Amino acid sequence: MLEIKDLTFRYSKRAPLVLDKISLTLNNGEIGVVLGKNGSGKTTLFKNILGIEKPDSGSITYDGKDLLKLSRGARAAYIAYVPQDIQFGDLTVFDTVLMGRMPYFGLKAGKEDETITLNILEDMGLSELVSRNANELSGGERQKIAIARALVQEPKLLVFDEPTGNLDIANEQLILKEAKRVAKEKGIGILTSLHDLNQALDLGTKFFFIKNGKIEYQGGPETVTETVIKEIFNADVEIIEHDNRRIIITR
Amino acid sequence: MSIKECFDALLGNGSAAQVRIIRNIRIPRVLAALIAGAGLSVSGLIMQTNLNNPMASPATLGVSNAAVFGANLSIIAFAGGFLSTGNNLSSYTTGANPYSTSLMAFIFSTISIVVILGLCRLRSFRPGVVVLAGVAIGSVWTAATTILQFYATDVGLSAAVIWTFGDLGRATYKTDIIMAIVVVVGITVFIITSWRLNALLSGDAAAKSIGVNVNTLRFISMLIASMITAVCVSFLGMIGFVGIICPHVIKKILGQDHRVSIPGAALSGSILLLLADTLSRSMGNGSALPVGAITSMLGAPFFLIIILFRKEGRS
Repeated sequence: MLEIKDLTFRYSKRAPLVLDKISLTLNNGEIGVVLGKNGSGKTTLFKNILGIEKPDSGSITYDGKDLLKLSRGARAAYIAYVPQDIQFGDLTVFDTVLMGRMPYFGLKAGKEDETITLNILEDMGLSELVSRNANELSGGERQKIAIARALVQEPKLLVFDEPTGNLDIANEQLILKEAKRVAKEKGIGILTSLHDLNQALDLGTKFFFIKNGKIEYQGGPETVTETVIKEIFNADVEIIEHDNRRIIITR
Repeated sequence: MSIKECFDALLGNGSAAQVRIIRNIRIPRVLAALIAGAGLSVSGLIMQTNLNNPMASPATLGVSNAAVFGANLSIIAFAGGFLSTGNNLSSYTTGANPYSTSLMAFIFSTISIVVILGLCRLRSFRPGVVVLAGVAIGSVWTAATTILQFYATDVGLSAAVIWTFGDLGRATYKTDIIMAIVVVVGITVFIITSWRLNALLSGDAAAKSIGVNVNTLRFISMLIASMITAVCVSFLGMIGFVGIICPHVIKKILGQDHRVSIPGAALSGSILLLLADTLSRSMGNGSALPVGAITSMLGAPFFLIIILFRKEGRS
């Protein structure tokens, strides 16, 4: 279980607080969606969890293990990251995904690393692309490759920053389905951020509403209410039931 | 000399003059071309990867400008070292120390590297900051060189300017050995860290998330690339364009995977510089033309063909 307690962060000594005593928990296999306006601190929170930024105070543990005390390599075996802006070098899909094994192999990949990579690629239906240049693929395929690279890290937690940001509707569905499958079948906790509240309701099992660096509300789908959305986003919405699903529409 | 005479001389079977020309002049020169070409080309590749900037070169940290200042200071202010091109062998046996100019060039290159990397550490080696700091500090060295040259005598000025022309004729076995040690150690470190350098191509955040200590990698690899450049420039003068052309051509042909592009860049750099040096001696009507000019003349058209007519990837 991911447990964050009183996490505080600012970019420099004189800068304002970006994260203000953030506390949250996320169980294995749960999909936590962080919701908030642009600039509310979502990506900064992810960067702190990933070790890209160092918090001023507070603790981040996974199953009791203090992640802040781990080396970058050791932490990479716990948490993997699928960034919003995916970049690859001119490498083959296989090599791009194999790179995710670096926390385990150090300088040169071994047979076991290659086998794990091939298995994940097959599992995700990417086997036919192994020798293609990762840079020459479509947005959806690139997103899947980034997920595959994160999965070969064999992480316990996957941080997924705006997974559907630059995708068309077909690829959005594909990626959300993949995220659900990963959480369910592999028991990996996923922490993500989404702008589309309906996608969030569809994907998430736990929700964190963040405003000005503070988590104002957290809990299951019942936390997502018209009042909370009004307070966090300053937006007037109506939540309706349709086909046993809750759908958010703007007023 | 015919090819057969060259081989005979190499094996010690020619006349004394032929043996001396081949063993003491040509071989050190060829070795210098192979070593410096590989070193400069790989340094350029590493700089481009680290700074995510296709215009980055081995000289990005102001190394060459600092080396030129150091050499100018030695020649103009202290009248030290060799005051002619490497075509004049006697320069190695006259003067207080034949290596004083190279030493001064190297000292100032190192100062430049340390100052820039020290400053950039304050901003976590962000690529944009490194490039701009390199430009700023480089321009300080250039300004200082201009002031120095303003006060130089005609002879001093001419010697200082001639020093800046890249000239492989300055190479000796000793300088080749020093360059080889730095270049081989540097390239070995780069090859060992190939996977980590590949990870940088995915962006800093992604590289950090797969366990790469980006700041340390960037500091060490830029330091090594700059030291390789400093050593080569200090001994041979400015040899431009190898460090930009060769990495680009290799990346276009072989892709960006450092496991392949590092050896590829080393090989192409060696070949380009060797070819350029051979041409510079053939075209100079008795004296060698500046090899840096030839590398650009040879490489630029090929480079343009590659970037204009080869199909681009999504990146």
